[in-house]
Amino acid sequence: MTQHSTDLNRIFQALSDPTRRAMLVRLLAGPAPVTALAEPTGMALPTVMRHLSVLEDAALIRSTKQGRTRLCHACPDTIAATEHWLGAQRALWEGRADRLEALLATLEQEPPP
Amino acid sequence: MTPLNPALDLELTRLFKAPPEKVWRCWTEPALLMQWFAPKPVATTEAILDLRAGGRFFTKMVLPDGSEHPNEGSFLEVIPNQKLAFTDLFSADWAPVASPGLGFSATLTFASEGGGTRYTARARHRTAEEAQKHADMGFHEGWGAASAQLDALSQTL
Repeated sequence: MTQHSTDLNRIFQALSDPTRRAMLVRLLAGPAPVTALAEPTGMALPTVMRHLSVLEDAALIRSTKQGRTRLCHACPDTIAATEHWLGAQRALWEGRADRLEALLATLEQEPPP
Repeated sequence: MTPLNPALDLELTRLFKAPPEKVWRCWTEPALLMQWFAPKPVATTEAILDLRAGGRFFTKMVLPDGSEHPNEGSFLEVIPNQKLAFTDLFSADWAPVASPGLGFSATLTFASEGGGTRYTARARHRTAEEAQKHADMGFHEGWGAASAQLDALSQTL
């Protein structure tokens, strides 16, 4: 197993949880303190911290200490890496839909049997 | 249906002008499928579709360098003019594929809408690790890159 695929697996494991995805989506809008990320989840702070550490281990986010608060930031480069194979698959299916549509347009011109 | 996992699954939908019967023909008649299934310059040179649950779905792709890529799979569900589902995890009659490539299942639905067809394609993938391994082999990525290059080139002609 390559280092690259190990990391990718960690990323997808981190993304497999809806709470963590919601946190990441929030952070993509801009940095936020842990307390602000915890609030909409209704979860206890230690649970939120565990979720954040999974995201941080996967390099999807990083955190910095500002005085007494911990500020979290999204890491867009890591998120871009996840686009790699799934993006290629999406491109394949989008391309298929395009070509299918083009072929259908030529069939439409056929006189009815 | 279980919810899609955005890390592993994709869904796209289009509204085609043609009715479901025609979209169905394009998906299920080998001579028509071969015209659009692979992006140029990749060619689909062979297509076998045994249209029944457990029936074989085989395609062969040929790259410009002459290399051949056979794709073995089978149908999971076949409802004429409405729904088609297949996978590369099983070959004909549910025989498990020893070492699947991508490891996916795809579901196409064709719903009548305003005289046309609401086309929905869902592709669900086994694991990110296997998918990445497959992508690293370069085949699918090569498809994307090759078609993008070709599109760019064709626009300059």
